[in-house]
Amino acid sequence: MKKVGFFLTLVFFCFESESKKIFNAKSHKFDNGLRLIVVENPRAPIVAQMIWYNFGSNIEERGKSGLAHFMEHLMFKGSKKFPENYFSNFLSKIGGSENAFTSYDYTAYYQTFPSNHIEKMIELEADRMKNLTLTKKNVETEKKVILEERFQRVESDPSSQLDESMRSILFPNNYYGRPIIGWKHEIENLTYNDVMDFYKKFYSPDNAILVLSGDVKFSNAKKLVRKYYENITKTKKKKIVDLSDPDLKTSTNVELKHQNVKQQIWKRIHRAKSYNQSISQSIALDLGMKILAGGTSSILYDEFVNKQKIFSMIGGFYQGLAKGDGYIYFYAIPNKEMSQNEISRLLDEQIEKAINEKISKKKLELEKKKYYYDSIYGMDGILKPAEIIGEALTIGLKLRDIEDWNKKLEKIDLEMVKKELKEFSDNNNFVTGSLKN
Amino acid sequence: MKLLFFILIFYFQSINALEYKKLQTSKGIKFWFVQDKSIPIVSVSFSFGGGSSLDSKEKNGISNLMTSMMDEGTTNLTSNELKNLMKENGMKLNFSSQRDRINGNFQTISSQILKSFELFSEVLNHPKFDEKDINKIKRQIISSIKIDESDISTLASNKFNQFFFDQHNFSENTKGSIKSLNNINREDLIKFHKKVFQKQNLIIGVAGNVNEKNIKEFIDLVFGDLNNYDEILKIKKFETLAKGERIHKIKTPQTSVLFGHPGLARNNENFFALRIANYILGGGGFQSRLYKNIREKKGLVYSVYSYLLSFESDGVIVGGFQTRNKSVYETVESVKNEWKKIQKKGITKTELENAKAYYNGSFTRNFTSTLSIARLLQIVQYYKLGDNYFQEREKIINSLSLEKVNQVVSNLFDGKKLFFMIVGEPEEK
Repeated sequence: MKKVGFFLTLVFFCFESESKKIFNAKSHKFDNGLRLIVVENPRAPIVAQMIWYNFGSNIEERGKSGLAHFMEHLMFKGSKKFPENYFSNFLSKIGGSENAFTSYDYTAYYQTFPSNHIEKMIELEADRMKNLTLTKKNVETEKKVILEERFQRVESDPSSQLDESMRSILFPNNYYGRPIIGWKHEIENLTYNDVMDFYKKFYSPDNAILVLSGDVKFSNAKKLVRKYYENITKTKKKKIVDLSDPDLKTSTNVELKHQNVKQQIWKRIHRAKSYNQSISQSIALDLGMKILAGGTSSILYDEFVNKQKIFSMIGGFYQGLAKGDGYIYFYAIPNKEMSQNEISRLLDEQIEKAINEKISKKKLELEKKKYYYDSIYGMDGILKPAEIIGEALTIGLKLRDIEDWNKKLEKIDLEMVKKELKEFSDNNNFVTGSLKN
Repeated sequence: MKLLFFILIFYFQSINALEYKKLQTSKGIKFWFVQDKSIPIVSVSFSFGGGSSLDSKEKNGISNLMTSMMDEGTTNLTSNELKNLMKENGMKLNFSSQRDRINGNFQTISSQILKSFELFSEVLNHPKFDEKDINKIKRQIISSIKIDESDISTLASNKFNQFFFDQHNFSENTKGSIKSLNNINREDLIKFHKKVFQKQNLIIGVAGNVNEKNIKEFIDLVFGDLNNYDEILKIKKFETLAKGERIHKIKTPQTSVLFGHPGLARNNENFFALRIANYILGGGGFQSRLYKNIREKKGLVYSVYSYLLSFESDGVIVGGFQTRNKSVYETVESVKNEWKKIQKKGITKTELENAKAYYNGSFTRNFTSTLSIARLLQIVQYYKLGDNYFQEREKIINSLSLEKVNQVVSNLFDGKKLFFMIVGEPEEK
C-alpha cells in the first residue's frame, strides 16, 4: 500500500556528467533487416537475450483484438527442429529463466542464462521466428488459457474493468483504446488461420531488434547471430496505418459500481505527448509529474494525505514510451466517499497551485538528482539495459537519442517543466472514473 | 559509460562458488561481505527474526504497521525532511514485515556513502513514531485491507491462511484488522521496535563498492548500539494444519483456489529432495507437471503453481490457481491426481536429472546485482545453511539419488492431507 506501484521509466546512466555515452551499446544491421544491439558486461557469467518485435496490438485488424498477445503465447509451442517443449526444457536444464510480454506497440521475448550456452539460445530464438509448427489443437487449447487469463486479469477485477472502459473513451479511434489482451467476444472468434496469417505476415527479421546484454562480446555475438539469422528472409512490408485521436469535446465521468468493492478508488487518465514526439519535453513532463504526484513526498501527497487528510493515498505518473500518444494517470483513495466532481475540483485547484507556486527550482534539482542516481541503479544488473534500449528503439527512438539522454536531462529547467504540466492540464483530453460499492 | 566499471569481480573456484568474507565489527556484529568494485553501489540486506508472528491477537498488525512507519521521520527529521535527504543522497531503504522476520534492504551510491549510512542509523535507531503519522499510515493500511476484500486472489490468500493454519498464529492477517489496528498506540510501537530490532536476531549480508575497514565501521554505526536481549524469538511448529476443503462464497465469474499440504523446515536434511520434487510437481514454471497437465493440455487455467514455504522450525507446500466457476472441481481433481501420482509413483530419472541441472545452473543468476548477492548472503546465514554452502550446494544436489528423493516424496506427500480454500462461486460437482 505504501509502496506505490513501480512503473517502468527511462533511466539512464551518466557516471560523470559530461557527455559520455550511456550504455556504450554496439549496433549492427544485417542485410535481412535484423538489428543487433550488444551491451557488454562480463561481471557475472550470465547473458540476457531479448528479442523485440516492433509491433503489438497496434497491427491487429478491427475485429481481431487480442491476436498479437495470442501469438505471443503460441510462440512457445515448438518447431519442426525443436518440437513441443524443447526450447523451454533446454533453457531450464541450463538453469535459465524466460518470459514474454505484449504491449500496444511491441512484443518481446527474453531469457537469462549462463553465458556458455549463448549459441544454442541464439539458435532457438532465431528458429521460432519462422519455423513454428502449430496445430489447430494447440490453438484451441491455448485460446482457453487466454480466456482464463482475461478472466483473471479483467473479468474478475473491477478495477481493471474501469481502466479498460476509461481507455476506450480516451482513445476512441486509436488502438490504445482497445485492450491488448483483446475483448472477450473477439478472442472467442480468433481462429487457427488468423494466427498463421498473422505469424507469417509480421514475424520477420526486419521487424525485430535482438538485444544481448551481459557476458558476451560484440564480435562473437555478430558472428553467431549472422549464422542463425542470415537465411531468414524478410516478408513483404505491410503498410501500418498510423491512427490518432480527435480532441474530446465532452467531459466524461465513468463509474463502476460493484457489490464486492469496499473502498472507493478515483482515477483520471489524460492523453499526453510521447518521447517519440519530443524527448526533451517528455523528460520535462516526467520530472514535473514526479514532483507533483510521484511517491510519498510529492506535492499532492503532502497536501491531501499529510495536511488535509482527505485521501489515504494519492499519486500519479507519466508514461510516454509510445509510438503515438502517451498518457498521464492519477489515482486517489478517499477516506470518506466523495463525488467525482469534488475530487476533480480539488485536484485541479492543487495542480494549478503547484504550477504557480509550489514547484521550485530546489524540487526540480532534487528530482533530477534522483533521476541520475536511478540510472546508476539501472546498471546494477543485466536485464534492465536490454529492456531500456529495446523498448526505446521499438517505439521509434534512435540509439543516439538514448546514448545522449543526459545532455537533454541537464538542460531541463523550471519553465519547461511548468509549461508541460500546464499543457496537459489545460486541455480536455481526459477521462475520470470511480470505483465504488 | 566506460568499460572500466566492468572489471571482472568474481573469482570462481567452481562456477557456483561465491567468494565472500566473514567479518566482525569492533562492537561484535558478524556479517558476510562481498566486495564488488564494478559498480558504484553498496547494497545491504538485513533481517531481524520474529516478524508478524510476534503480533499479539489484540494488537495484530503491529509488525506491519511498525515497518510501514520506518520512513516516517526520526527524532531529528520530519517525514518529508527524511524522504528528501534520502533522494538527495540516492539512498534507498525499505523494510518489510514477513511472518517469521522483518526484512530490510539498504542501498546507496558510493559517493554518498557516509551520509547515507548516517541516515540509515538514525532511521533504525531513532524513529519518530509521530501520532499524526501513525494515524495516516493506519488509514492507508485500512484502505488496503478494504481493497484486498474485493480482490479475489488476495481474499483467497487471507482465507487460506485463516483456515489452513487453524490454531497457529500464521492464521492471522499480517495487516491486522480495523479493530486490532485501533488497539495499537505509540507506546506499543516504541516497545515493539525495541523488542524486535535487537542484536541476537540480526543477520546481515553486504555487497558492493566499499572496503572492509569502512563497511565494518558503517555496520557498527547502524546496528552497533542495538539492545541485546536473551529472549530468542522462535516460531511454533504447525501442529494443526487443516485438511479437506472450504468454500467462501463471493460473486465473481472466476474462482480463486489455494491449496496447502505439510512440508519441511528449511534446514531439514531432506529439504533439497523436497525442493526437487516440488520443482517437478509445480515449481518449475513451464516444466512442471501441474503446468503441463492443467494449463498446457487442458487449458483450464492461466497459471497454476506450487511452492515451498519453509521456515526455520517447520514448513508447508502451498499452491494455487484461478479458473472459471464451472471448472473449479475438475481442476481441484486434477491437482489431487497429481498428488496421488507423485505419492505412489514418485518422480522419474529424467525428471530428477533435469531438476538437478536446473538448480546447478540457475544459482549464478543470483550474482548479477549487488542487491541479489547481499540477499543471498543474508538468507544463507538466516537458515544456517553453513559457511561452505556455496561449495556444498552443488554436492548436496548431485548426491541426491532417485531412491532418496522418492523415499522423501512417498513419506511426505499424502493426498489426504491436502487442504483446498475455494473463494468464488464454484458450480456443483
